[in-house]
Amino acid sequence: MNHIVSVSNVSKNYNLGQVVVPALRGVSLDVAEGEFLAIAGPSGSGKTTLLNLVGCVDTPSAGTVTVDGKQTGLLCERDLTRLRLHTIGFIFQSFNLVSVLSVLQNVELPLLLQRALSARERKQRVLALLDRVGIREYSKHRPSELSGGQRQRVAIARALVTRPKLVLADEPTANLDSVTGTNILNLMKELNQSETTTFIFSTHDARVWAYASAVVRLADGQIQDRVSAEEAVRAGGLPTGRPA
Amino acid sequence: MGFLLDLRIAFRSLFQHSRRTFFLATAIAGVTALLILLNALSAGVSETMIRAATTLSTGHVNVGGFFKVTSSSGGPVVTEYEKVIEAVRKSVPEMESMVHRGRGWAKIISDLGSTQAGITGIEIKNEPGFRKVIELVSGRLEDLAEPNTMLVFESQVERLKVRVGDAVTLSAQTTRGAANTIDCRIVAIAKDMGLMSKFGVFVPVETTRALYQLRSDTTGAIHIYLKPKFIPDVTAIAARLRGQLEKLGWTVMDADPNPFWMKFQTVAREDWTGQKLDVTTWEDEVSFITWTLTVLRGLTAVLLTILIAIVITGIMNTMWIAIRERTREIGTLRAIGMQRGGVLRMFLYESLLLGLIGTGTGALAGAGLGAALNAARIHVPLSVQLFLMSDRVQLALHAGGLVRAALFITLVTTLAALYPAYRAARLKPVSAMSHFG
Ligand SMILES: Nc1ncnc2c1ncn2[C@@H]1O[C@H](COP(=O)(O)OP(=O)(O)OP(=O)(O)O)[C@@H](O)[C@H]1O
Ligand SMILES: [Mg+2]
Repeated sequence: MNHIVSVSNVSKNYNLGQVVVPALRGVSLDVAEGEFLAIAGPSGSGKTTLLNLVGCVDTPSAGTVTVDGKQTGLLCERDLTRLRLHTIGFIFQSFNLVSVLSVLQNVELPLLLQRALSARERKQRVLALLDRVGIREYSKHRPSELSGGQRQRVAIARALVTRPKLVLADEPTANLDSVTGTNILNLMKELNQSETTTFIFSTHDARVWAYASAVVRLADGQIQDRVSAEEAVRAGGLPTGRPA
Repeated sequence: MGFLLDLRIAFRSLFQHSRRTFFLATAIAGVTALLILLNALSAGVSETMIRAATTLSTGHVNVGGFFKVTSSSGGPVVTEYEKVIEAVRKSVPEMESMVHRGRGWAKIISDLGSTQAGITGIEIKNEPGFRKVIELVSGRLEDLAEPNTMLVFESQVERLKVRVGDAVTLSAQTTRGAANTIDCRIVAIAKDMGLMSKFGVFVPVETTRALYQLRSDTTGAIHIYLKPKFIPDVTAIAARLRGQLEKLGWTVMDADPNPFWMKFQTVAREDWTGQKLDVTTWEDEVSFITWTLTVLRGLTAVLLTILIAIVITGIMNTMWIAIRERTREIGTLRAIGMQRGGVLRMFLYESLLLGLIGTGTGALAGAGLGAALNAARIHVPLSVQLFLMSDRVQLALHAGGLVRAALFITLVTTLAALYPAYRAARLKPVSAMSHFG
């Protein structure tokens, strides 16, 4: 099986003045293409840190991260940016839309950066995607005029518009109410299945594990285990540490 | 397309913070307008001076000189001037027109008073510029075509106590050192034109020849008027002409940035006889007043430096604030694939746009204000008139100057944003994930 992501023996330390905070300690993880993988763990367990490393926005203190066959430690900043642009889509916990651009322009942004499609093709693709995530009628609105759920839909559309192989989502439902959160997860799952895009998302909400193809449980910067969604739900709760 | 994206975000960000943008744009506009007005003032003073000076006492470039009969006596004379004119015509293609004038220094005696004055001999029919600069109080300029006539200025009228039609006597030493007098009739009285008119009168060129007993193939100096676009190059053109006259066999004096009447003593002390030519520029001939221009330009430069420092501080501060506020946006853009260059351009465009808006407004405001000041025809105090050679100052507002000022300030604002923008571009994309900001 092809691994879109391969994390090997990765450690990440943060320096807080004199104190070294180990956020990840010897994490190894392979993710197959088409997975819908949940990273579960309590607050401070290292979920965001791991996603940042996989997303090539941060570098590990030790170990290697390979994304789409490229070892990220060997790439220069320019090539890392290209990898993010062409291979990875990001969904952030707090949406991170560009406030001065309209919904349509926000979603169009990665396509503009790619400079691959004509204006007409871009518009077609963006509108089709907005349709898909159910906010086409808001295409001319500014993000500030939308609800949290709508904003996250925009963010999802933006992450998917380049048809990336890999989408990373850091607690995509944490800022949403549970109904909206469920809708968003359904949408992600649907896109995962129709586009065969690999999704890795972090969560400390046990209710969303059911959607995952597998759950990687993280605690204190180490991988506890990797189980199927059913097992995880059956086991219930988080492996160690405080319940979220 | 990427270009448009950076520009679009920059443009919208600018209007997102409309208050901040408004204040900064206003400050930039103010500085631009001030720069334009100060430059227009310098240029206006300079143009007024050049216009007055080049009519009264100098061309843009002059070929004068001294002729010494013995090593101790001589005068400001160019002999065989037609040949010199011929040589100048060939050597100065930038020339628009050319006149020759007699030069001298004499005592003027009337029934009721006397004064010393520089005597300039002109051919009034060849001096079209004269009419534009000289404002007559009484008499007629045309009458200067008649032999032994004279134009005086109001301040001399006070000393001589004469009116149009009165007779005066000119008394001077000829080039051979003999005393000579000539009677002249006052035919025109002109308004004062500052320092230059205090000590100068105009007579027909034959009168200067007669006074100094010179042959008809002599003159005092040849005034060369250049086409306007070549006026800034006078120094180079003078240097070139100097070389060419030398090559054609004339003895030419070394460049000396002083008016001809300050060179009498040096020439008299030197041990030579015959003809020497002296090539000067208008700046040399009026060097005793051009320091005012230098002062004005210096003040402009100092003021401008301060104002630009303020603008730079304002822009940089605003950029730092914008970058702090938009850390997460920058991180997001970097995370989804914008290169560092894109972030850099985004902030530079923002500053560039701000600069264009500010300087555009400022240029219009400056031009409007300048035009209004010109229309108001503000009179300058007497002390200033002396140097200005005019009773009011006309701001010189040229489209080229406006555009240059606007572009210069825009460049400054853009460069001021360079370092903050560079720092923004270096922000780590991981900052997109942080929740503050
Ligand atoms: N920039 C940083 N500087 C210092 N320490 C950090 C930094 N980012 C994270 N850490 C520390 O690293 C550890 C892992 O943090 P991380 O954000 O990856 O956890 P998380 O699982 O995403 O937590 P949460 O559920 O609260 O988002 C924590 O102990 C955290 O305090
Ligand atoms: Mg986190």
